[in-house]
Amino acid sequence: MKRRVQPIDAAKASRWAQRLSTRVGKILAAHPDADRDNVRHTLILLEQPPLERLQRSLIRGRATAIFRK
Amino acid sequence: MAAPLPFSESELRLLQVLLKRKVRFMVVGLSAATLQGAPVVTQDVDLWFENLGEQKISRALQEVGAAYVPPGNFNPPMLAGAGAELFDIVIRMDGLGAFADEIKNCVEIPLGRQKLKVLSLERILASKIAANRPKDKLTIPVLRDALAATQTVKRRSKKK
Repeated sequence: MKRRVQPIDAAKASRWAQRLSTRVGKILAAHPDADRDNVRHTLILLEQPPLERLQRSLIRGRATAIFRK
Repeated sequence: MAAPLPFSESELRLLQVLLKRKVRFMVVGLSAATLQGAPVVTQDVDLWFENLGEQKISRALQEVGAAYVPPGNFNPPMLAGAGAELFDIVIRMDGLGAFADEIKNCVEIPLGRQKLKVLSLERILASKIAANRPKDKLTIPVLRDALAATQTVKRRSKKK
């Protein structure tokens, strides 16, 4: 099924991704040894409230444990 | 009011009773790191208590139908009962100072009307480097990068 993309949302998402990419670039310039993905994921998580970050982490952590069994 | 994510009603109640009774504890480990933005996964929430022998703790746990189970032959110290399954007790933090010193390195995370003390990302990283178990080795680079990112964000928001 083809997903319908709202043009306004797509433009907004694109601007957000651009801003994120710029911020990642600045951090990597100051910390060249840092991993791009780790920095990007941290910046994305910092946009969420702390308890939501923990919620995501627990869901993923428990799912990983289930798959390991 | 519904319990805020990620806690159930009973888990939230346990934390709130500990805070209300002014029990000195803090969230440590990867759950503390993730609260501060580190992209790591965890299965539980580690709590470090200053003094597990304190009566305030047993009274608080009793109030919510939970109990402290001291370490046994093969079991570490643990909490049991209502709302306690999510929480693990930590009795030793490698590479860190005494609780009274480390509590100064905490950040505060709002939990309803109260505030939860959470060990700073910098100190979590220090403890993981000191512990240096295979599972710590996997998270050290991620925590290091997360610290670089969060410090940059903090510096920027201070400038504004």
